[in-house]
Amino acid sequence: MKKRIFAVLLTAALVATLFSGCGSSNNGAANTDGAAATTAAETIKIGTISPNTGSLAAYGEAVVNGINLAVKEINAAGGVLGKQIVLETLDDKGDPVEGANAFNKLADEADVCAILGSVTSGVTSGLASLANESKVVLLTPTATADTVTDADDYVFRACFKDSYQGRMAAKFAAEVLGVKKVAVLYASGDPYSAGLREAFIAAAAEFGLDVVAEESSSSTEDTDYSAQLTNIAGSDAEFLFAPYYYSSIGPYIVPQARAAGFAGVIMGADGFDGTIATMVDDKSLYNNCYFTNHYSPDDTSATVQNFVSAYTTEFGAESLNALAALAYDAVYMLKDSIEKANSTDRTAIRDAMSGMSFSGVTGSFTLDETGTPEKSVAIIEFKDGAAIWNSTLGN
Amino acid sequence: MPDQIVTFILQVLNGLKIGSVYALVALGYTMVYGIIKLINFAHGDFIMVGSYALLYTMPIMVSLGMPAWIAVVMAIAICVLVGITVEKVAYKPVRKKGTNMSALITAIAMSLFLENLAQTIFGAAPKPVGTIFTFPDMIIGKVKVNGNTILTIIIGVSVMIALQFFVRKTRLGKSMRAVSEDGQAAILMGINKNRTITMTFAIGSGLAAVASLMYCASYPQATPTIGAMLGLKAFVAAVLGGIGSIPGAMLGGIVIGLVESLSKAYIGDLTGGVITSAFSDAIVFGILIVVLLVKPSGILGKNIGEKV
Repeated sequence: MKKRIFAVLLTAALVATLFSGCGSSNNGAANTDGAAATTAAETIKIGTISPNTGSLAAYGEAVVNGINLAVKEINAAGGVLGKQIVLETLDDKGDPVEGANAFNKLADEADVCAILGSVTSGVTSGLASLANESKVVLLTPTATADTVTDADDYVFRACFKDSYQGRMAAKFAAEVLGVKKVAVLYASGDPYSAGLREAFIAAAAEFGLDVVAEESSSSTEDTDYSAQLTNIAGSDAEFLFAPYYYSSIGPYIVPQARAAGFAGVIMGADGFDGTIATMVDDKSLYNNCYFTNHYSPDDTSATVQNFVSAYTTEFGAESLNALAALAYDAVYMLKDSIEKANSTDRTAIRDAMSGMSFSGVTGSFTLDETGTPEKSVAIIEFKDGAAIWNSTLGN
Repeated sequence: MPDQIVTFILQVLNGLKIGSVYALVALGYTMVYGIIKLINFAHGDFIMVGSYALLYTMPIMVSLGMPAWIAVVMAIAICVLVGITVEKVAYKPVRKKGTNMSALITAIAMSLFLENLAQTIFGAAPKPVGTIFTFPDMIIGKVKVNGNTILTIIIGVSVMIALQFFVRKTRLGKSMRAVSEDGQAAILMGINKNRTITMTFAIGSGLAAVASLMYCASYPQATPTIGAMLGLKAFVAAVLGGIGSIPGAMLGGIVIGLVESLSKAYIGDLTGGVITSAFSDAIVFGILIVVLLVKPSGILGKNIGEKV
């Protein structure tokens, strides 16, 4: 009997957790007790969502570090509107369902004034409609899929969008590398990869590139791409656009492409950032690989160098990448908006952020009507296992 | 040779490359299933354990001046230890009290437990596994045959023959078959049932370590979740070949690898782009459904009527 009661209680608890995830923002008031209300008056609470565990944990680590660094600096300089920033850092494990649960939890807390996150386009796409429903600013530092902020009111980002990255890759191929015949390999089930492929193909026509082969995988988590790459090597493509993440580029796609006999250029987008840590022993395989990125640590401007040295002192150089820089900028964008609004009201912050101009580590820009910056891209090249700044490309 | 035929041969070789790994993994599945009728869903995760064991012992072996692949000895030892622990701690108590179904659910739980434990211990970030061996590629005309693929197939076939011999001819193998046929009668004949089952797990887990060596040679990255998809596909391979049948696992693995590779390569052209290479996983799991509907005992499986 005892066991049965326990089982019933356990089931009840499970069901309760299921439903609490679906709760909307209107029960947020009930969650805020007296104590939380007083702390809310002295501090500003910002929620963050990122993949801190799971296969993209390296992204989460960089973003959380970038956010923590910016918050530490801001708090040391007296905070925002005279209040110290406190963070509530939640994990989405790179999973849209976990992301939605994290978002609902944060949105239900009335003292969370805005939410930073998430990192991947896959998760952030799912959060966009939730942000509009609960009328809280969702500022994603890094989600580049075009659809993330389309026709949205409360979603902003600190990075450029995929169609722009895909376009710049095509421009680089045509104008800098001077290639004519290109191939594409993409993950059809991943919004990031599929979005980049679409933008690249559209721009390829514009820049006079001939797409001679197109192959796909079901997800970015596949381990074997040999069949597709053999077909690509068999075509006469000189350039392969492969918008994947570092976790498959380093160990699988590049070595398998070279093994299949493809010696041409392999290019991707910001998902390549971090590949160095996942490369196989033979680093020469990665020569002739390029990617578009948000910034380069080799940039000599004072803003970039200050950020690089502050980050390295705090967290070491290993996790420093463009995502950390974007996350760092996102916190300052939020700070500017809160100061401009002179309030921590969720809608007031939204109004202040719309169309804002900003200058930071990842460039100077003004947000367009969808809340997306238009800025130049850095082209990074792999050379014997090192990532080297190649050039900066603008419209 | 016309280019299309060269490409076709290359695609077949790609299929053999992944298929030979599936076959090695499927051998472990089938071995355990054949003896205790338990689909050990944690088997894929034993491979993950093996990969991390290789990752951390390889530098030690290299620093001692030995070839990197010797690390597999340590990997086998660690996998056997984990396998026996899982059997003693999780499966044995359940087997005593529950049904086959509760054992199956325990296996799924162990799989999730091992994945999350690995994530806690090693972190979630993917870790590159160094070069294990550089086996020279064979070049025949325009066709380059990957050395690792040949080695994996050779190891797979040798393991298959050794297992077959072991199960048929040795004393321990005979007691395993006896336990498999009728556990109660085996006990009456003086066979130590629990010891036999533990040995089965030890061998199955050791095979997982060998499979992880060949897997890491071709796909050099360790993450806590590598065993999940690999395990599922090898399970399909074992079912296709006839679960419980040792040559069946080998055959099933190769067939699944070929189907996967050839469907990735040609399905787009054959269907005019309606079905793309992205559907290859769906096709592999579609095979599972078809096999279960048409010939549940698999290609080489024996059709034994359920005892009533």
